[in-house]
Amino acid sequence: MIGEILAAMVGTVAFSLLFGVPRRYYPYCGLIGGAGWWVYSMAASRWEPELAALVATMVVILLSRTTAVWQRCPVTVFLISGIFPLVPGAGIYWTSYYIVTDQLNLALHTGYEAVKTAVAIVLGIVFVFEIPQKVFRAGRKQHEVTPRQL
Amino acid sequence: MAKEELDEKEEKEVMETAIMAGHILLENGAEIFRVEETIDRVCRHYGVKSGNAFVLSNGIFTTAGNEREGYFAKVQHIPVGGTHLNRVAAVNQLSREMEEGLYTIKELRAALESIKTMPGKRPITQIFASGVGSAAFCCLFGGDVWDMGAAFLAGLLLYAYVLFVSAPHLSKIVGNIGGGALVTFVCAFCYFGGLGNHLNFMIIGSITPLIPGVAFTNGIRDIADGDYISGSVRMLDAILVFFCIAIGVGMAFSLLSGIGGGIPL
Repeated sequence: MIGEILAAMVGTVAFSLLFGVPRRYYPYCGLIGGAGWWVYSMAASRWEPELAALVATMVVILLSRTTAVWQRCPVTVFLISGIFPLVPGAGIYWTSYYIVTDQLNLALHTGYEAVKTAVAIVLGIVFVFEIPQKVFRAGRKQHEVTPRQL
Repeated sequence: MAKEELDEKEEKEVMETAIMAGHILLENGAEIFRVEETIDRVCRHYGVKSGNAFVLSNGIFTTAGNEREGYFAKVQHIPVGGTHLNRVAAVNQLSREMEEGLYTIKELRAALESIKTMPGKRPITQIFASGVGSAAFCCLFGGDVWDMGAAFLAGLLLYAYVLFVSAPHLSKIVGNIGGGALVTFVCAFCYFGGLGNHLNFMIIGSITPLIPGVAFTNGIRDIADGDYISGSVRMLDAILVFFCIAIGVGMAFSLLSGIGGGIPL
């Protein structure tokens, strides 16, 4: 478990480097990615994996938005790499693997699961971005930034 | 900052600078609303009240002009480039400082010029990061230490291919099919050469650098913001890349099973 979370953190930092995230934000990206995976694996042991992906995405985005307001930088910086561990890369692989090995039922099944996971991630993103920015700025003095800037 | 009327030349300078800020943001992976808002902010701040911008995923259309201000129009095509979030963050910071009144228009322009040429990570660093990321994701999906070693190797080779072959010379479709196939071949060679115990986890880990995370996330956010055109273009881009990776992996598997007479996967 600890090993997996560490791997998620290292992986997230590696991808934030690929996307050119400024170096001072690496620790936040890593923590957000690790937290996302932690929530995902906790939730996946109880619920369907799609529901787990939804919950984990929501946590990742809540954390990203909070950090973005706190650090005053675009939320994209944290969001994109933080969400990487949840994107169904494995689903893509298994689907094409089953197609090539002529196991169509399994291919359909995994493909369908991958699409469901993707939809769960979409919903997670949409739901959390619905929360008004001022919620995240509670506790920070009113600044001249308008809501959507972050 | 209340300002008296701008003459035509000043207005043009403001508009050009606003477009430049938008260009940098759009090119480096910002969302549509951020681009539109930044352009608006620059216009308003320097006193061009009639400035207007329409932003698509690969172009910026701007006009200005009414009975009091001179007319200005510019369309700029912006090809989809790599993602450099450091530039997005820098422009965002700059726009915040501009609102505090720290920059004249000339200084803002100079600052944008320097952001535009802000160096990215060196290729060798990127290749190494791709290897580390591949190994980490391989572990995440259940690989052991040897699998991680193979995934690291495949991740290195993959990104070298992305940087020197695929990005400069190949189309997105062929580039990603090639990437998926390359990863599968490298992992298969490692596996049959004795490095790594789970071919599946090795491949899953090492295709991760190809996954279009930026297009996917930004596409969703643009659609959620109501920027349907740009959002669908970015989603289409993401879905296309997902499919191409799958096709690449699948083709490589087919080839391998043809050569090896059915590989025990």
